[in-house]
Amino acid sequence: MRGRRTLGWVFALLAGTALGVSLLVLIVLIVITTLQTGPITSMRAVSGAGISLSLRSMDVPGTRDSLAYVTIAQVEGGSPAAGLGISRGDALIEVAGVAVDRPGRAWDAVGEAAGGREVTLPVVWMPRSEVTLGTLRATSTGGGPRVLISTPSAAAQAAGLLTGDLLVTAAGIPITGTRQAWEALVVAARTQGTPIELTLEREGERQVLLWNPSLQAELPFLRDPLRAWWTFLTTLNEPRYPERAGLLPAFAGSVYVVLVMAVVAFPLGIAGAVYLEEYAPTNLMTRIIEVLVANLAGTPSAVVGIIGLEVFARALGAGRSILAGGLTLSILILPMLIVAAREALRAVPQTLREAALAVGATRWETVRHHVLPYALSGILTGTILSFSRALGDGASLLLLGAFLFVTYVPQGLGDSFTIVPLQIFEWATRPQDGFAAVAAAAILILVTLLLVLNAVAIVLRNRFQRRWLG
Amino acid sequence: MREHEALPVLSTRAFSLWYGVHQALIEVNLDIAERQVTAIIGPSGCGKSTLIRAFNRLNDLIPGVRTSGEIVFRGERIYGRGVDPVNVRRYIGMVFQKPNPFPKSVFENVAFGLRINGFRGNLAERVKLALDKAALWDEVKDDLHRKTGYDLSGGQQQRLCIARALAVNPEVLLMDEPCSALDPTATAKIEDLIRELASSVTVAIVTHNMQQAARVSDFTAFMLLGELVEFGPTREIFTRPTDSRTEAYITGRFG
Repeated sequence: MRGRRTLGWVFALLAGTALGVSLLVLIVLIVITTLQTGPITSMRAVSGAGISLSLRSMDVPGTRDSLAYVTIAQVEGGSPAAGLGISRGDALIEVAGVAVDRPGRAWDAVGEAAGGREVTLPVVWMPRSEVTLGTLRATSTGGGPRVLISTPSAAAQAAGLLTGDLLVTAAGIPITGTRQAWEALVVAARTQGTPIELTLEREGERQVLLWNPSLQAELPFLRDPLRAWWTFLTTLNEPRYPERAGLLPAFAGSVYVVLVMAVVAFPLGIAGAVYLEEYAPTNLMTRIIEVLVANLAGTPSAVVGIIGLEVFARALGAGRSILAGGLTLSILILPMLIVAAREALRAVPQTLREAALAVGATRWETVRHHVLPYALSGILTGTILSFSRALGDGASLLLLGAFLFVTYVPQGLGDSFTIVPLQIFEWATRPQDGFAAVAAAAILILVTLLLVLNAVAIVLRNRFQRRWLG
Repeated sequence: MREHEALPVLSTRAFSLWYGVHQALIEVNLDIAERQVTAIIGPSGCGKSTLIRAFNRLNDLIPGVRTSGEIVFRGERIYGRGVDPVNVRRYIGMVFQKPNPFPKSVFENVAFGLRINGFRGNLAERVKLALDKAALWDEVKDDLHRKTGYDLSGGQQQRLCIARALAVNPEVLLMDEPCSALDPTATAKIEDLIRELASSVTVAIVTHNMQQAARVSDFTAFMLLGELVEFGPTREIFTRPTDSRTEAYITGRFG
């Protein structure tokens, strides 16, 4: 007796420690991931500054190096960036002392900046050549391609540039087209503070001018992580820029598919479990069904996906729709649901059934009034656990042919859709830095959702134990 | 003598029962007299619980149960073709070894049988009546809806189960070792109750406590290894047993 009690103690201690340690590791992992996740910062920057960036690269003339630089892909009207005169096509050179050679760097700078909800960062940007020097025109006077200043800007006029000047070199880089002129200015702008040396040809004579344009501006960045998460969760998806990626279509798709699955699988699963546990005669047929259910519960979800593709999408003509997705997931979780519900029903004491039957209740009245209410918490626990499995499952719907990338929220049962795990997969396979971070953010949201669901299951189970067994 | 005037309300005729290949009852012939207390005694595994559960067909729940012979209740064969066990249980109530109240309020515990049997009338009155008969009313009248069956003490729970069984006005009340999970005080209360009940309902009680059988019953049946060894008025069984095995058991030589 004493030995058995000690054994139970040791088991409880081991299990408790294992559970505690794994929870702790999970929390640490989540915190680390959160701290390292980029898109939160980048989205914050977008919502604060009103710009999106895209990566460009060019070969540095005269060398074998190539130079990556970042241009402004989009400026939101009325944003701080628009107010500073930053416009589409400008190059972003430096943010708060951090050289911007990929989009993530700009947001790294925001992340490193100290301060409260709003931070103002000095931005060095290189306006387009037309704006800086004025309007440039490519010509081919004198045999070769030349760049002509057709309308010098105010800054250029102040430095002594005139209409009709030919630009020969900028910062030592020979200029053979407007694009080179632009790139030369980008290169030059990396060494801020040093005036740029321009070689001009004016009326046949070469002249050297020093030009020091002021390219600095202050750009406020909002720092509001909650809003960033919320924005991420509630915006439509955009395929090109990680800063504008949104989880809404995939999230809505997941919710709709799981809802369809719940409507189909929950009643079927409970009914199946009640039948097997309370009604089925003990014969060969029942035993075969039991074995089948138990085996199906372990079926790989990819196999279930193939079944869904052949049966629902093709044979029944549901296509790659939410309906087909929900039905496929139903197949995936139905056996799990039945097994879990049967466990809950088996935990109902036989004496309770006998008590009801002994006052003349029928089998159904016994189940309806006593067995089901008693087992309900256990059934719900199993249900939620299998739902969270379905929510996190990607393989089955991948094989069904669900889309990886969807930019709209599905409107009906017949609409095509994507789900969060597949959207994560799609983002994670993109080469750009930003999308890896977006994928990480989506993973965090998914994991949080699953943890919440499992917590609900645990609360339900505890309530059940207190209410009936306490 | 009172015992000899009683008419049988429930009688078994060469009743045998098998659990799969194991025969648990062997050709039992027993008459349970109306408004009398009949005790079934015997050592563990002698089939006394199986017999009492055969009276309201609760053994039907166990897979692989087979029967032969008859049990006749008011002239009807309860194992006959087309007999609904639900109907049988409506007239033959049962109280179990371990108190098994529903995890619902005291009121709902008693009212359940009435509700499912389509009772139309004053439910509260019938519940009070049943609780009164089970000598529980005074203890729970203030908490009818507030307390669940699980909030009561063990003895109270068992009396609640008795009230639940009595609420539908059964003709026979089967009791399967109703006091085995209770302390002596609670046991004494239940025993008094059984004596009182005998004026309005037929009681069959299984017990492994011979003193209890002697105290509460009018008739006693002694069973051994699935067979009914001896059956007769309690006083005779305990004072002048005709079978040597009965004598050996009641004098404590085995069991």
